[in-house]
Amino acid sequence: MSKPNLPPRCPEGEHPLHAKIREALGDKALALGRLADGTPCVLVEVGSLREVAAKLAELGYDHPISISAIDLPAEGKLAMDYIFVSYLNRELVGHPLHVRFEVPRDEPRVPSIADMFPYADYEERECHEMFGVWFEGNPHMGRRFLLDEDCCIDERTGKYLYPLRKDFKVPDWQIMG
Amino acid sequence: MLLSARLREFVYEKMKVKRLMYWGTRWSLWPVHLVTSCCGVEVAHTSAPGFDAERWGVLPFLTMRQSNVILVEGTVTRKMAKVLKYVYDQMPEPKFVFAMGACAIRGGLFWNSYHVIQVDTLVPVAAYIVGCPPTPEAVIRAFSSLQQKLSGREPPAIEPTKRDLTEVLPPARPMAKQTVEAKA
Repeated sequence: MSKPNLPPRCPEGEHPLHAKIREALGDKALALGRLADGTPCVLVEVGSLREVAAKLAELGYDHPISISAIDLPAEGKLAMDYIFVSYLNRELVGHPLHVRFEVPRDEPRVPSIADMFPYADYEERECHEMFGVWFEGNPHMGRRFLLDEDCCIDERTGKYLYPLRKDFKVPDWQIMG
Repeated sequence: MLLSARLREFVYEKMKVKRLMYWGTRWSLWPVHLVTSCCGVEVAHTSAPGFDAERWGVLPFLTMRQSNVILVEGTVTRKMAKVLKYVYDQMPEPKFVFAMGACAIRGGLFWNSYHVIQVDTLVPVAAYIVGCPPTPEAVIRAFSSLQQKLSGREPPAIEPTKRDLTEVLPPARPMAKQTVEAKA
């Protein structure tokens, strides 16, 4: 039985921007693909994220529009998904690029790109408190940004919990109040 | 009992000032929008020329310290709940809270969420406005029911119409149990 095509892996496919991206990234791009909605995606390693981001900035991508994660508790992994878009480069407009990689679920540590792309700061802080990803280099890690200070705290240990992880349990409201 | 409290009770009850005061309150319910969600659009419509709720004294107002009604329009998150409680305590008496929309009443779309609360667990609610979102007519109806309550009459009771649907629908299945049983 073949493995299901999970979201982190790039589905195979061709895209006109592939040649340009491969030229810019070199051997940092492990695999190139095309998603179901027709946008290109690239698989990289965690360690090379900062170099990849710098090269994408040279290529013409302005900002990361989304930094998110997918929780895969069965595999013990968090699949990170960075989406880079461009406003100004005519070739890249309308072709958001998904940059994907996996980190271990127990200790997810990802280098921060907030100094290169200022907009990434908010996205990283949100991803940190929803999924517990630690972005190394971002000065706001370990603090609350969107969530309430009294919300989502483990009663026994007093530690912060991450509400968008799949093992998070909502305190029961009881059916219809 | 303190002298001031006794004086206040005398003025309220014996001199019939209470009735006069309630009459005044009845025709000056000035709501403050707590626009936490999309129901705010419908309340804007309520005060627009089409429905013109000011005919019944419903004048949208600026700050909660200077008015007597809070219209909670939609989802109340835990962060917003602190603000709601804070401003409710600062409001002068008499004060009323309307819970508008499915989100404010029972969570609605965000039912059983980690970051959303129900309004009536936090502050006493004078009237519920059902709908997702409620129509301007429903908002006006809530105000008129509060006016009737203030004038001492019973507000109109709304009860769901029950119909027997067993001929049309298949019988309801029992809910699936979520317990994980150990395999023998």
